[in-house]
Amino acid sequence: MLRFIAADLRRHWIGALAIMLIVALATALGVLVTLQERALRLGSARSANAFDLVVGAPGSETQLVLSSVFLQPAPLPLMPGSVLAGLIADPRVAWAAPVGFGDFVENYPIVGTTPALVGGIASMGQGRGFARLGEAVIGAATDLRIGDHFHPQHGRVGEPTGVHTEITYEVVGRLAATGTPWDRAVLVPIETVWLAHDHDHGGHDRAAGEEDAHAQDGHDADHDHDQSADHAVPAAGASSPPGNPFLPGTTRPDQSGSVLDTPLSDQTVADPHAPGVPAIVVKPRSIADAYKLRQQYRSDHTVAVFPGEVLTRLYSTLGDVRLILTLIAGGAQALVGFAILLVVSVHVVQRRRQIGALRALGAPRPAVFAIVWGEVLLIAGSGLVAGFALGYAGARLLSIVVTEASGMMMPVGFTAADLARLGALLALTALASALPALFAYRQSPAAALRG
Amino acid sequence: MPSEAVPALVLADVELRFPGLEQPALALASLTIAPGETVALVGPSGCGKTSLINILTGLEVPQRGSVDWSGTDITRLSQGARDRWRARHIGLVMQEFHLFPGLSALENVLLPQRLAHFRLTDGAKPEAERLLRRVGIDRLDQPVETMSRGQMQRVAVARALAARPGVIVADEPTASLDADAGESVAALLLELTHEAGATLIVATHDPHLVPRLHRLLRLESGRLKD
Repeated sequence: MLRFIAADLRRHWIGALAIMLIVALATALGVLVTLQERALRLGSARSANAFDLVVGAPGSETQLVLSSVFLQPAPLPLMPGSVLAGLIADPRVAWAAPVGFGDFVENYPIVGTTPALVGGIASMGQGRGFARLGEAVIGAATDLRIGDHFHPQHGRVGEPTGVHTEITYEVVGRLAATGTPWDRAVLVPIETVWLAHDHDHGGHDRAAGEEDAHAQDGHDADHDHDQSADHAVPAAGASSPPGNPFLPGTTRPDQSGSVLDTPLSDQTVADPHAPGVPAIVVKPRSIADAYKLRQQYRSDHTVAVFPGEVLTRLYSTLGDVRLILTLIAGGAQALVGFAILLVVSVHVVQRRRQIGALRALGAPRPAVFAIVWGEVLLIAGSGLVAGFALGYAGARLLSIVVTEASGMMMPVGFTAADLARLGALLALTALASALPALFAYRQSPAAALRG
Repeated sequence: MPSEAVPALVLADVELRFPGLEQPALALASLTIAPGETVALVGPSGCGKTSLINILTGLEVPQRGSVDWSGTDITRLSQGARDRWRARHIGLVMQEFHLFPGLSALENVLLPQRLAHFRLTDGAKPEAERLLRRVGIDRLDQPVETMSRGQMQRVAVARALAARPGVIVADEPTASLDADAGESVAALLLELTHEAGATLIVATHDPHLVPRLHRLLRLESGRLKD
């Protein structure tokens, strides 16, 4: 019987292969949607792992998480420097670090932060962390090298840009791979970002982000030179430690080159009069502290979010999208199934003489049923299995593309539920294959002899 | 090599109708065939030869009458039982051979027994090989689709005899062959049936074949003419 099926398949191999491929492609579609959605969920959840609490200015919580955890470029409103200073001083906080963005080198986002974050989200792979204003640490997936020098540019390659030629960073270290978008980031001291943007837009622009702290700055309409803005708060400058050229009221050397050699000081960012930042990553000392901090920083001036919570909300949206895609893929699969069932049934009817001959020669009806059923199941079943393999391969490929583009690792894998689904599909196929087999079973053997 | 039991046929009062046709396709008051007889079934096309063969072999069941082979009225058997009875007692040779491409000559000869019993009896394979050599097929593993039509029909003859049935039924076995091939198939059919001691029923137009059979049944419009 198996020899008979094998011989028959060999004879009709083109048709059998075509049907198998159609089944495989239809199956792969559904598998791809499931796997990819799961990979995106796992990958993003892993990326958010190191970020317990994120504090930002009032606005979209989702955008705050997307920008700070996934480094998606978007203009975020700034918080006054006092927020960061308050968090750093808070005893419930293990560490708090600013995340400031906007500049790029090649297509890698430059993230202004402090050494606390460098240690907090990843460990050093090579070299050391930045210790001076002009030093940078690169993510594991960037193609810069330790010792490289670069200018930050405003915007990405291909977008209207301005290059901050007055700032030159030297790469001094590379982070170990984390499988998150931060692998594609270039980390620099936040102070240098302040400096760059001060040069670019003047204190006026910067002051716009600091409205909460220095509301009066925004009304200094006549002063468009940065020195003027700095002088607007001379009292604050007086308390600043020396050698922090971005703090208001501090005298700034004319040549940035020498400024960039300035060693970093914890005092700078801890200063309540420091410039504003769009987001602050906070590592609370305990879970209880985390909730208290979130409560406290949910105010008119700031929002505090657990990225995990925001992601859960996003996933439910993502789940709806997946449901729709799954339904579409399932519909396509069902249509393919019906079409193939029709083709196979027509094929069986066309071969009624051959099937009749089998009966006439003494093959019992169950044997005829088994031959047709086995053959259809073999073709469609191998198509299903191939479809799962194809869907897996497709999801892996897509994940590689996404990882290349975003740095986020997308773990693709089957779960027990997928195997159950494969089993259910196989059972369904076995059931559907019984239909053409039944046609063959009911075929009159007398047909063999009629001319 | 005589078959274990060659059945005798007693057919009575058979009527076969097809839906939409006023006249019965077949109406036979009685017909008996003794074990070991060789019978030619002749008549113009459409006279009911194939219908009669279908009824004798249990491929079709008449609306009326009995088809009794040595005490077994096959019209009363269930479909499964009739299939089993046919596999055991009838060897069929058909005009269009119905060999299965992709399988070798030997596999084709053994296929009905494989499908009927799932497993071959011990003697089945040697007997199949003997029969194939007997009909002049030397390459037992030759795929049937590479054979000439004459060779194919000789394989079909071997297949009909392989399970040692008591009755060999052939429907126009030489009609689709050229004269030489037809002659050799006809001769083989007669010789092998004789060797097996089986009954032979042949529906045929072949003027060379008819005279070599003991008995002549002439059908016209579904009725027997003497």
